[in-house]
Amino acid sequence: MKRTASSVLVALSLVIFGCAPEGTSKTGGTPSSTPIGVTPPESKGKIGLSVLTLTNPFFKVIADTLTAEAKEHGYEVIVVSGEFDVAKQQNQVKDFIVQKVVAIVLTPCDSKSIGTAIKEANDAGIPVFTADIACLSPDAKVVSHIATDNLSGGREAGNAMKEALGEAGGKIAILDFNVVESCIQRVKGFREVIDAHNVGKPKGKIDIVTVLPGGGAKDMGYKAAEDALQAHPDLAGIFAINDPSALGARAALEKAGKADKVRIIGFDGQPEGKQAIKDGKIYADPVQFPDKIAIETVHAIVKHFAGEEVPKELLVPTSLYRKEDAMKDSSLK
Amino acid sequence: MTVNRSLLARLLADYGIVLALLALCIYFSLATVSEQQPAGAPGGSQLAREIIRAYPEGKGTVALIVVRDSREDAEFASALRAEIENKGIRVAAVVAGQPSNARAELQRFSKSSSRLDVIACGQATATWTVFDNLAQRYPQLADVRIMSPKPYRGSNFLKPDNLLNIANQIAVIAILAIGMTMVIVTGGIDLSVGSLIALSAVTATVLLRDMAGAERAGTAAMLGCSVAGIAICGGVGLFSGLMITLFRIPAFIVTLAVMLVANGLAFILAKGQSAYQIPDSYVWLGRGAVLGLPVAALLMAALYVVAHIFMSRTQMGRHIYAVGSNPEAARLAGVPVNKVLRLVYLVSGLTAGLGGIVMASQLKSGSPTYGVMYELYVIAAVVVGGTSLSGGQGKVFGTLIGVLIIAVIQNGMNLTGVESYTQKVVLGLVILGAVLVDRLKQSAWNSG
Repeated sequence: MKRTASSVLVALSLVIFGCAPEGTSKTGGTPSSTPIGVTPPESKGKIGLSVLTLTNPFFKVIADTLTAEAKEHGYEVIVVSGEFDVAKQQNQVKDFIVQKVVAIVLTPCDSKSIGTAIKEANDAGIPVFTADIACLSPDAKVVSHIATDNLSGGREAGNAMKEALGEAGGKIAILDFNVVESCIQRVKGFREVIDAHNVGKPKGKIDIVTVLPGGGAKDMGYKAAEDALQAHPDLAGIFAINDPSALGARAALEKAGKADKVRIIGFDGQPEGKQAIKDGKIYADPVQFPDKIAIETVHAIVKHFAGEEVPKELLVPTSLYRKEDAMKDSSLK
Repeated sequence: MTVNRSLLARLLADYGIVLALLALCIYFSLATVSEQQPAGAPGGSQLAREIIRAYPEGKGTVALIVVRDSREDAEFASALRAEIENKGIRVAAVVAGQPSNARAELQRFSKSSSRLDVIACGQATATWTVFDNLAQRYPQLADVRIMSPKPYRGSNFLKPDNLLNIANQIAVIAILAIGMTMVIVTGGIDLSVGSLIALSAVTATVLLRDMAGAERAGTAAMLGCSVAGIAICGGVGLFSGLMITLFRIPAFIVTLAVMLVANGLAFILAKGQSAYQIPDSYVWLGRGAVLGLPVAALLMAALYVVAHIFMSRTQMGRHIYAVGSNPEAARLAGVPVNKVLRLVYLVSGLTAGLGGIVMASQLKSGSPTYGVMYELYVIAAVVVGGTSLSGGQGKVFGTLIGVLIIAVIQNGMNLTGVESYTQKVVLGLVILGAVLVDRLKQSAWNSG
């Protein structure tokens, strides 16, 4: 009994101990713990990054680009993920404070509840930056917020819809995700363009007949598009606030045999979405640039430490990505 | 003989868990050894000694102190200032703030061409790039030395701040695990606790926001709203218990359904948004400290003592074990089985509700997205702590050790910078390993 139990414990500890050193060597920013030759010229300290989730490629790109760009400037980045759990993210921020990071970058899991964690970092004198998702808590101080310009992105989506439907116009549906500020902005920009287009037009109006929750996910987008088609069989277009819900809508159209009749405008420009644009499944996407967001964030941090003024908000514009762009894109099959 | 043997085995099993925790702590203490910068008043004194050594003449020397705007840095600066001024070194200014403030100060010095010999920095401000290439940017300041305290090697894991962090971080899960231990000892399971965290947090914060005057709510109102949140969760727990005892529906199914209901209710109550318009003093429970110890951790410790006494010293506690070992035998022996079951689910609901209040207090807001997957972490902690899923065995303090093991692994992996994907793999393997130990233990008992 004694032997079995202890051997299991040894095995267990091997599992734990076997995994961790891999990570320790990564954080070895101090010259003494890094192998000779790999040491960056001079370490200026660690930056703590906690993203919303690493299961979405968007945030993976932010994490990877930020790590690489920060290294160029002599900073080491510790990447963790809150996985949508704001309490977990708060603990990660506390761990950052213990590790004495010089700066913290967050994509908050909850725009309001993250306020207390940011406040703690403020109290410890550590500057906090937010990327992609803003903090809306009034008592938390954020040096700078770097994000996609979702409002103008939404306008681009509106222009793409005008282009896709042409003179004829028609009925369209919006698949929104109205619990996230960025998605609300996208729909707002989209509506602005469509409303302006319709002013004083007797014919060829673009009519937003329904706005359904697309959940920002394939399964929800699929269901919402199916329901929209039931209510409006003569639908001419769908604007979905991100690629997964756009692809879900596309699947519903294919099932209903209406894939050729309904034009889809997505948002994001994730690899899967770009491929769908190349294959003609989605008409166009305003694409976001997570890599630019990450680079701008690092630049903001560098400027901050150099004592320069950093704007409270930095918006990275989107650009419209159509089929002809996809044809030239070497990253696609 | 057999009694002796099983006693020995039991001791070993309990001891084994504690040993595993100790091994983890020792491992992470060593793995997180890194360069530490002296901070606070001791750091200030150390730097002061170095500056005095570098400028023994004292009088005539002019220093600029640059620190960040935090309490620790303020202590650093005031200790440093007092000690060097004592030796006649003049402190021209203390900058406590952002790099831009330091830049402004540097420009002022460079323009006024007044004397400056040394810039004394804290651990963080020394890395500010605003001090890079001083000679090129400000020829006036070419001879200025930048000094900061000498680093030493120490363990991040063992820092008092970090240990207090762990105590604070485990509070919510540990409180939930008390109720879960009782439920699992009876051979049941409660999947609804994660959703109950959200329900309780949302109930309390929404009530505070809408009925009790939002940010201006008084202590009594805060207490009342929190009790309401806990009471609702207790009610939901009791409801689960009733469904299980009256209609003989398996606990897994009942609490799965209740999990969905509670989660939906939390979203409805909060209208999908987080409620954050609550008084500042509401964070006392989650973030306050009494005599330097976090209130949440003290509350947790007190609850564990009470639960331990309840489980091991009272008749009801023994009944819980009896029901878990063999419900039929317990019933024939006169144990009120249904009453016991209702009680444990009630307690599980109440502890989940309290956990939700603590979380709302830590985050100073209530959101229906709280507590996702927490039921699984809680069950994992209980099992790692040595409670058998087949019922009848388990100790409240074992659960506390289980919670600590999981928390130490998570904290340690965060400190050593293990990737979040790898963290999940490790946690899963730890849980599997714990169940394996439980299995081996049981087969050892059965065979010997």
